[in-house]
Amino acid sequence: MEQKINLMSHLVAGYPTDELAFTAAKALVDGGAAILEIQLPFSDPSADGPAIQGACNEVLKRGYRTKDGLAFIKRIHEAFPQVSIYLMSYGSLVYTPGIKNFCSRAASSGVNGMIIPDLPFDYDEGLTAACKENGMVNIPVAAPSMSPQRLEKLAGAGFPYVYAALRTGITGTDTRISEETISFIEKLRKGGSRIYGGFGISSGKQSAALSGHVEAVVAGSVFVRLITENASSEEALYQAVKNKALELTGCNK
Amino acid sequence: MSFSDNGFFGQFGGKYVAEVLRRPLDELEIAFKEAMADPSFLEELQQIQRDYIGRETPLLHAETASKILGGAQIYIKLEGLANTGAHKINNAIGQCLLAKRMGKKRIIAETGAGQHGVATAAACAKLGLDCTVYMGEVDVRRQQPNVAAMELYGAKVHSVTSGSRTLKDAVNEAMRDWAANPDTTHYVLGSALGPAPFPDIVREFQSVIGKEVKRQAEERHLDVEALIACVGGGSNSIGFFSPFIDEPGPRLIGVEAGGIGPGIGENASRMTGNASRDGILQGYKSRFLIDEDGQALSTRSISAGLDYCGIGPQLAALGKSGRVEFTSALDKEALEAVKFFAKNEGVLFALESAHAGAEAIKLAPTLSPEKAIIVNMSGRGDKDVFITSPVFRPEKWLDFLHAEIERLESDKDIHEAKIME
Repeated sequence: MEQKINLMSHLVAGYPTDELAFTAAKALVDGGAAILEIQLPFSDPSADGPAIQGACNEVLKRGYRTKDGLAFIKRIHEAFPQVSIYLMSYGSLVYTPGIKNFCSRAASSGVNGMIIPDLPFDYDEGLTAACKENGMVNIPVAAPSMSPQRLEKLAGAGFPYVYAALRTGITGTDTRISEETISFIEKLRKGGSRIYGGFGISSGKQSAALSGHVEAVVAGSVFVRLITENASSEEALYQAVKNKALELTGCNK
Repeated sequence: MSFSDNGFFGQFGGKYVAEVLRRPLDELEIAFKEAMADPSFLEELQQIQRDYIGRETPLLHAETASKILGGAQIYIKLEGLANTGAHKINNAIGQCLLAKRMGKKRIIAETGAGQHGVATAAACAKLGLDCTVYMGEVDVRRQQPNVAAMELYGAKVHSVTSGSRTLKDAVNEAMRDWAANPDTTHYVLGSALGPAPFPDIVREFQSVIGKEVKRQAEERHLDVEALIACVGGGSNSIGFFSPFIDEPGPRLIGVEAGGIGPGIGENASRMTGNASRDGILQGYKSRFLIDEDGQALSTRSISAGLDYCGIGPQLAALGKSGRVEFTSALDKEALEAVKFFAKNEGVLFALESAHAGAEAIKLAPTLSPEKAIIVNMSGRGDKDVFITSPVFRPEKWLDFLHAEIERLESDKDIHEAKIME
């Protein structure tokens, strides 16, 4: 059996319902996901593609609040304490209630780290410090389009983890893992940060190509699409999500 | 506070964007600064402002209106006479010239009322650039005349069906497009908001309005008490106010959309409303209509151009410091202002600009006839005929629409249109 690949898988809190989202989380964990990246739905998810944006809008239409998302995260944390949980969302949801306040609530819900793409590492409004105070990590997002100087600045900024978006653009379309991709990851690793790599990852072949270069492979839209397609049957949803997780972790071989 | 300090106006502004957008923003900032220091760029811009936009636009003394209201002399800056019918062309031409200078061949834009989309589409046609305009599905429906114009100028109008299907969703789509295509594409943002350097860029290209007003008022020796402009994102107002900001006077008054009332979701009053908070949304920090979690709230205004949940960061800062005073006008007050100035001055305000006209109607009688107030008519109201006619002349309008449908269904005269395809 090939070596298992570390997988960080994405999930929209409450999508399509809290119960089915919980089923999806269970399927991801059973499929070998080591980390769950749970997105708090936001009205204007400008860095997400149509699959995730659609999911966020569906959840918000139900009147879903931040407190509902954090309660969902807490339930996942209690059910699967062995799995790390990273909260992904946008600056507005973190900044508006107060960053310290938000981080404290997130930490007490079982969140281990925060991924907030529109609070970049040098414009973070105190997020990194507030994460530290609450025993969490802030995980900045890097992009291949970064200038060499900026990339170097981020690599040397002392973050334990960096999320590398492996393609210019938004989530949810295919990404080719090329020599440039690997070179980008290696540049980020130079400062000692461990790298999570994702954006457009949907096949075992892609995750295998990344394995060894990253701490974990990140996959998001592929799961959201499977959840959307199988929302009418809990069993089908569980199987589809688990099978995809097994494929991406290399455990189906 | 004329220019941002590293992208910030006081506590507002910034570049709160995902890393994928950082490089295009940084490149744009450098290119803009270089262009504005290059006399040949400024010369080309001035020439096209004169020959294509039709600058300078007149400053009209609204004598009859002033007499009826019995107070200050009202002057109207007729930006609606600019080619394409609104101030938006000032910025669109400026940014498209900048994009050409940067070697970009493709332009994207977002639009609410449609005036910015029309201006960008026209600027692209004039300068030979490929153009795609994102517009919320709701706005596409209520601003059909502008959609038709954009298509005639050769632009692709992309109807956005996500979220609330209005301006903010069109902005999100445009940002996504830009994030995916930064090397070939320039995003012509239409208002003085969004991530730095857009607030500086849009203000500078719109400041031509204020510079002309200043000169025109001085030539006529006007004792100007106040400048009044409507504020959606705030591009016409910040351009109008720009040369006066660092001076002690006149009063600068921004008028927001009061919609149908003060309730949440009933207006778009970011500075005067009761649902406004400091926030970070769509790449910048400012005042937004957001709930306590930080989710964007729905907004409402009869004018699509004012129906936006955020306000430009410089205006938010100027509001906070007190240099710009903010007030609001209700939908019905804007409609009354359209009627008043049309009948008494022969000037048809766009519904957006009519909010400023409504404030002038309130303010003028409180001032002496020796004083002047200047209203920026940022656009003209031809585009609003589908909104104003059902209000002002509902039966005749219905008859007209029925007759049009009948004519189209019977296929008479349609062969003329087919030639255009």
